[in-house]
Amino acid sequence: MTKTEDKALKDKAPLGKVIVITSGKGGVGKTTSAAAISAALAKRGHKTVVIDFDVGLRNLDMIMGCERRVVFDFINVIQGEARLKQALIKDKRLDTLSILPTSQTRDKDALTQDGVEKVLNELKEEFDYIVCDSPAGIERGAQLAMYFADEAVVVTNPEVSSVRDSDRVLGLLSSKTKRAETGGDEVKAQVLLTRHDQRRIDAGEMMTIEDVLEILAVPLLGVIPESPAVLRASNVGTPVVLDEPSAASRAYEDAVARLLGEEVEMRIGNEKRPGLFGRIFGRSA
Amino acid sequence: MAQPDASFFAALDEKLSSAPNLLIGAPIVLDFERVPELADRDLLREVIGAIRAKGLLLFGVQNVTAQQRELAEAFGLIPLQIGRDAPLDKQRASAPQQSADAPSPEIKDPPRAPANRIINRPVRSGQMIVAENGDLTIVGSVASGAEVVAAGNIHIYGTLRGRAMAGARGDTSARIFCHRLEAELLAIAGLFQTSEKIGAEFRSHSVQIHLEDEKLCIERFE
Ligand SMILES: Nc1ncnc2c1ncn2[C@@H]1O[C@H](COP(=O)(O)OP(=O)(O)O)[C@@H](O)[C@H]1O
Ligand SMILES: [Mg+2]
Repeated sequence: MTKTEDKALKDKAPLGKVIVITSGKGGVGKTTSAAAISAALAKRGHKTVVIDFDVGLRNLDMIMGCERRVVFDFINVIQGEARLKQALIKDKRLDTLSILPTSQTRDKDALTQDGVEKVLNELKEEFDYIVCDSPAGIERGAQLAMYFADEAVVVTNPEVSSVRDSDRVLGLLSSKTKRAETGGDEVKAQVLLTRHDQRRIDAGEMMTIEDVLEILAVPLLGVIPESPAVLRASNVGTPVVLDEPSAASRAYEDAVARLLGEEVEMRIGNEKRPGLFGRIFGRSA
Repeated sequence: MAQPDASFFAALDEKLSSAPNLLIGAPIVLDFERVPELADRDLLREVIGAIRAKGLLLFGVQNVTAQQRELAEAFGLIPLQIGRDAPLDKQRASAPQQSADAPSPEIKDPPRAPANRIINRPVRSGQMIVAENGDLTIVGSVASGAEVVAAGNIHIYGTLRGRAMAGARGDTSARIFCHRLEAELLAIAGLFQTSEKIGAEFRSHSVQIHLEDEKLCIERFE
């Protein structure tokens, strides 16, 4: 590398923003969303890495379609058995996207706060966005995944137990994170409503978006419809936004545009809902 | 370290199996009347953990000694005087006694303003907010699974879906005000009502709650 190239790179320091994808409840779509959001960010040219914090389950690399390329993992790096560069897997479709897989065999206790911080700090030197796929629950693994976050995407299904767990997680985000403990700006939290099914809402089997937002009282990042496209994409190891266009992929693209601060009208399924959420739950909040 | 008595848990299990649906999720108060000597922190922690692990919502204690009261409060449990078993005048009778024991210096001090608390954010599930010596005002909603407790009044400018306990130190004149009532539990000075007992006509309304003749009264603001 020549000196001038070197300087040009240094001038454009990476953003280094840490975003946790969390929920409390399991099976609501965290990993699906972490994969889709990181791929959509990378597609827009942002250097992005997605980290699997769900030690022992290892779903992320399957959804990203790189499970056969895993040699070293996040835990190896934390325990000093491999260098970060060796564990990072470059996505074959997008050269702006990397995956840091987790271990399927190690114990959850292998994650330490110091270890996580060191890895994140090293990633911040290189990436604009560091997306953390949290395990379910509110125990250690989930708390470590959120601890260093700048922003949080709280994945919620429109049903009572999911909403209640999300509320619990919002409480932890405002008390058990580095930002909360050091009195800095709060972790910016937004809710991503997934597996939205208008028919089941109309039938009274699921909560309405309004009810969910009234309880959680944070801005709405997006509404992802229940869609067979999600299952199909995950079966072939493709983040849904890199698969054929579908209502779900469009909804994730819109959510990522909002994550980046763009104003995008809220679309529910294929219909537009002009202004409604904008008015009631102002995104400026 | 003292071990909790296995027979205690056996008895608890039996009680639970006799009325499982009745007790799970019901608010539970631990009565210390027959164990005035129990003051072992680790033992108490274990008992509390075991009761909660069975899905019971332990929130208060009654008939505690001063030492037990301190321990219970350290575990976030609220000392209560409940119902007819512990009539309010028994409590009052003990008050002068205390001041006779130790002529309190507070009498000479100018009266202190109560330490009111204002919380400018929603109270989330799993959180507990306490105003130990005054009123508590929440600007926002109180989620299902959250708890707000005050020695004085509680004001909620939002929806109350969780639990609210006013007059937690025995003040029977304390009130609860909320913009919208969907509560799991309401209590004033230890007298409580759970959601199934709260009349449907008060649900989703703006209300105030106070005590009248040892009964919780709910009034709608029209
Ligand atoms: N929008 C959706 N439509 C249909 N199925 C979905 C959707 N989002 C997630 N799923 C499915 O739900 C299951 C759980 O999703 P996952 O992302 O693994 O959840 P989590 O990481 O929160 O446990 C998976 O089988 C996934 O394919
Ligand atoms: Mg997952």
